[in-house]
Amino acid sequence: MRLELGKFVIKDIQFAEESHIENQVLYVNKAEVEAMVLEDDKLKECHLDIARPGEATRITPVKDVIEPRVKVSGGEIFPGVIGKVSPQVGSGRTHALDGCCVVTVGRIVGFQEGVIDMSGPAADYCPFSKTVNLCVVIEPQEGLETHVYERAGRLAGLKTAAYLGELARKLEPDTLEVFETKSVFEQAAQYPDLPKVGYIHMLQSQGLLHDTYYYGVDAKQIVPTFMYPTEIMDGAIVSGNCVAPCDKVTSYHHLHNPVIEDCYRHHGKDINFMGVILTNENVFLADKERHSDMVAKFCQWLELDGVLITEEGYGNPDTDLMMNCRKVERAGTKVCLITDEFPGKDGKSASLADTCEEATALASCGQGNATLKFPAMDKVIGMMDYIESQIGGWAGCVNEDGSFEAELQIIIASTIANGFNKLAARGY
Amino acid sequence: MVKGIEKYGIPVVHICTVVPISRTIGANRIVPAVGIPYPLGDPTQGEDESRKIREKLVTRALKALETPVDEQTVFEKDEW
Repeated sequence: MRLELGKFVIKDIQFAEESHIENQVLYVNKAEVEAMVLEDDKLKECHLDIARPGEATRITPVKDVIEPRVKVSGGEIFPGVIGKVSPQVGSGRTHALDGCCVVTVGRIVGFQEGVIDMSGPAADYCPFSKTVNLCVVIEPQEGLETHVYERAGRLAGLKTAAYLGELARKLEPDTLEVFETKSVFEQAAQYPDLPKVGYIHMLQSQGLLHDTYYYGVDAKQIVPTFMYPTEIMDGAIVSGNCVAPCDKVTSYHHLHNPVIEDCYRHHGKDINFMGVILTNENVFLADKERHSDMVAKFCQWLELDGVLITEEGYGNPDTDLMMNCRKVERAGTKVCLITDEFPGKDGKSASLADTCEEATALASCGQGNATLKFPAMDKVIGMMDYIESQIGGWAGCVNEDGSFEAELQIIIASTIANGFNKLAARGY
Repeated sequence: MVKGIEKYGIPVVHICTVVPISRTIGANRIVPAVGIPYPLGDPTQGEDESRKIREKLVTRALKALETPVDEQTVFEKDEW
C-alpha cells in the first residue's frame, strides 16, 4: 500500500461566515458545525470554542482529540465509524490539517477524562497545549446511559474533524510525504540485508467505556490480525475510551502513531519495516492467552527479527504486554517494549503490574504518579466540577481560586505509552 | 495483601482472573476467576447460573485452602 499524505500548516482558527482555509488560518462557521453536531438527538446542546497556545485557558473534561483529515482518494476517513467501510483505507491520497485539533469536551462520561492547559507548568506535559484547538463542548440529553453518551461524544468529534478536513480536499498542501509498505514477500526482498522489524500494536479493549474501534469493529471482538501501517494514518483505528488520560491513545495519536512514523523514518536505512500486528487487551485470561499465542505465531510466520510493542492503559494490560513479550521472544523474535510506569506517589511500588524474564529491553515514557501544581486559569472550556474525581485528582485537591494539585496522570497524553511525549527514564 | 497475610502464617487463596499477575506477586494458592469485570459470576448467564458458578469457585477455594502446597499452585479443577 502506498499513501500520499499532504499536510497543511494551520497557525490559527477563527470563527467566520464561511468555513474555509486561507493563508494558514482555518475559518469555521460556528453555527453550521454546532447544528451538524446537534443532528444527533442524544445531545441537547453544543457550543464551539477556540483554545490557542499560550492562553490562560484550561480544557476539561477532555474526551478525545482528533486531527482533521480527508481522503482525497482511496476510501473515506474513519472507515466503518463515520466513513464507508469499503474500500479499505491506507492508499491513495490523504490531506491533513497540521497544527490544529478537534477536542471533545463535556460533562464526564466515566472518571478517566483529562485536562489540557494551554499555558503554565502542565502545558509542558501535553502535546495539545501546542496546537490550536477547536473545542466541541457537548451536553447530553437527561438520563442518557453512559455508553450512549460516550458514543455521541465520539461521533461528534469525528464528524467535526471530517467536516474540517473536507475543507482541504481541493487545496494544494504545504508538504507531501509518501509512505509505502509492499506485500510481505516484496517487502522482505526489498531490503534483504536489513533486519525485518514489525510493530505489535495493542489496542485498549477492556470494555466498560474502555474501547477502541478498528474499521468500526469493537476491538474486544477481534483476534490478532495484520494491517498496513498506512491504514492507521487514514483513521482505521479510532479511540472510544475513557482510560487514564495520561496514557490514553487519542484518535489523534492513532493518526500520528510515533512508532509507525519512526519505523518509516528508519525504513530502508537500518531496518526493514514489515508492518503492524494488531492485537487487544481483553479482560478474560483465555483471550490474553489465545491472542498472545497468535501474535507470537505471526512473528514467527513473518520471520521477523525484531518487534516493538506498545500498550494502552496500565494494570492488567501489563500482563498482555508481558505475555506478548515472553511468547514472541520464545518464538525467536527480539522484543523491545514501550510503556509508562505507575510506582505510586512515593515511588516505592512496582511500576508495572506484571513482568517476565524475557523483558530485557524497555523504553519508559515516564511515570504518571508524580504530582504537579496547576495554577488557576482565566478561562475554563468545559467545567472544573469533576477534577477531584478525575483520575489523578483526589478529594480536596482543588482550591477555592480554581488552582489544584494532581498527579500527572490527569493530563491528556502526559505519559502516553507509545512515546508521543517527552518524558523518559534512564538506567544507571 | 496475599503476601502480607501469609507472612503471619495464615494461608491465603487468591481468587483472581489474571493468574500471571497473581504468580508475579507470589501468591501460593491461586484459583482462576471468571473475568475482571465479574470474577465470581457471569451476568451473561443470569443470576441462577452466576450463583452456581460462585458456589463452585468458593468451594474450590476452601478446599485449596486446606491443601498443603510446596510451590505456587493453580487450582484449575475441582478434584486433585
